[in-house]
Amino acid sequence: MNAIGLLSLILFAALMLVAGKQGLKIFLGLIINFAVIFILIILLNWQFNPYVVTAILSVTILAVSIYLSSDNGQVMNTAFKASLVITAGLMLVAYLAQFSGQLQGFATENSDELEGLSLAVGLNFGHLAVVVMVLSALGAIAEASMAITADLHEVIERTPTIQVTNLEHHARIIGRQILGTAINTLFFGMLGSTLPLLIWFLRLRYSLSMFFNAKLLVMELITMLLGMLGILLSIWLASHLVVNDFKKGRIDLDAGDL
Amino acid sequence: MKLWHLIKKYGWLPLLLLVTWVGLRHDAFLYQDPVGQVVRVQTLNKGAVTDEHGNQDEAVSERLTIKLLNRSGQVQIENGYAQSQGITAHYRVGDQVILSHAGGHNWQVFSLKRDALLGTLVVLFVSLLLIYGRLRAGGFLLLSLGLNLALFGLALVADIQVKSVSVVGLFATVAVAMAALSLFLVLGWGLQMGITWAATVLSTGLALIVMVVCLSLTHNEGVHFETMSYVTQVPKTLFYAQTIIGVLGAVMDESSDIIAALFGMHRENPNRPFHDYWQAGQSVGREILGTLVNILFMIFIAETIPMVILMLRNGNNWSYILDQVMNLGILQTVVSGLGIVLAVPVTALLGATFLVKRGDQS
Repeated sequence: MNAIGLLSLILFAALMLVAGKQGLKIFLGLIINFAVIFILIILLNWQFNPYVVTAILSVTILAVSIYLSSDNGQVMNTAFKASLVITAGLMLVAYLAQFSGQLQGFATENSDELEGLSLAVGLNFGHLAVVVMVLSALGAIAEASMAITADLHEVIERTPTIQVTNLEHHARIIGRQILGTAINTLFFGMLGSTLPLLIWFLRLRYSLSMFFNAKLLVMELITMLLGMLGILLSIWLASHLVVNDFKKGRIDLDAGDL
Repeated sequence: MKLWHLIKKYGWLPLLLLVTWVGLRHDAFLYQDPVGQVVRVQTLNKGAVTDEHGNQDEAVSERLTIKLLNRSGQVQIENGYAQSQGITAHYRVGDQVILSHAGGHNWQVFSLKRDALLGTLVVLFVSLLLIYGRLRAGGFLLLSLGLNLALFGLALVADIQVKSVSVVGLFATVAVAMAALSLFLVLGWGLQMGITWAATVLSTGLALIVMVVCLSLTHNEGVHFETMSYVTQVPKTLFYAQTIIGVLGAVMDESSDIIAALFGMHRENPNRPFHDYWQAGQSVGREILGTLVNILFMIFIAETIPMVILMLRNGNNWSYILDQVMNLGILQTVVSGLGIVLAVPVTALLGATFLVKRGDQS
């Protein structure tokens, strides 16, 4: 049997055992997101406008990651709103970064894989770089805004009579905790995925200047920084939204069931 | 009034970004290689090209006039690129470039200079982090990132310098140390840190063992370690090392949340039965594991997109691409997912056991 198939089966079984019905939803979400990425790649390959395609499919991915991960309707709505705004902002920053850094495509380090491939394929790789940067941050943005919104709702549920200033204080404390763990997740994830490239740079004795200027490594670093910015801003915005809702008395404590 | 207040309070940030940008555009004197700035671009030739798969592109050649910034004089370089800029690139007036000089008139563009972009983004992130997290939370997080990076760098150097070292062992040790360091900086020394750390290491280890067993049972069928990019050593062990580090971060995130919730319960009422903690730990874990799996999935899959599209346009079919380009990304997602799922019962079990034993001694 195929090793990946076997491992997927084990993952599915473990999810069902640990999380039951919710596990099924999570597995489903993963498969849907994979399908969305397929559609994205096909549409990009058919030369649809990359920014429109990415915008629409990012909304889909965020919706799947958020709405299939919890049960509280109001929490998910707030988290979704916050992540949409932040993703739009991040897309702009990613575009600017690509414009100034020309991070697109491949470099001489890819020569082995590129052997025998035609590179004049009539498709702008600059747009693709922006797509990669935005997509890499989506998961982290969804996670951060979900976590802070859910935690703040729990605080309000426990003490519905809490003062606004007190809630703001809680928002800061919880926000900083989530920030720390979420940024570490992304940091370790990116370190892991950059490991072979870093070893390549060191083993072939690249000069120090290449660590700050070489296309492939800078692309990885910028992607990581954008993701971290996304996490930070999502937490900021989502807690602001929750506090605002609370001020206006719009937090519905029985919103547990959607 | 409010706007003026905002400008007064945060006006230094755009200014700081500008200073960083301009400063790093003037740091050519730090470079040993020749650095220059493009002052003139003339298009010499343009022609339509069609490759064997029917893709239409445009080949352009241009003459760049580059003013040297850390030497005196100007040089002219001819640069050819394809409009899609897959590996060749078009340069614009104002672009700063690092050059290589092979004697005489033989100059070449070695790389675009990207340090100003990188530096400005780092400054933006650090400033926002300090504004939001203040010195205590923000500063500690930065310290933890910096120290972890240093540890990781040491491991990289050791991997390259020491010939006989086991790659998996080395990076596993470093990952365990990095986890301990991050948790220590966030939680301080104590039982909470200890349990979180143990749960993190145990869950990551378990996921890895399951992967190794599955791979050897199936004799690596359907797994193509040889397709890994930038390989300078045995790809299989490198993949293990990568996976350990990637999974560890997500699992640490999850265990911290679960253990923090259990300690919260313990503070409210120290005399709870095992069952209470076990149930609470499971329910906290269930809430977060979905979004955590997604974080790693997006990182691993997004970076394959340019290669996948290039392969598609070169007439390869999907099953070949899945096998050759996305194979390891998918495997890594599945193994990470497994680690994240296993972390829920492992952490709940460890937390519950220790907290019941502790009872109300404290």
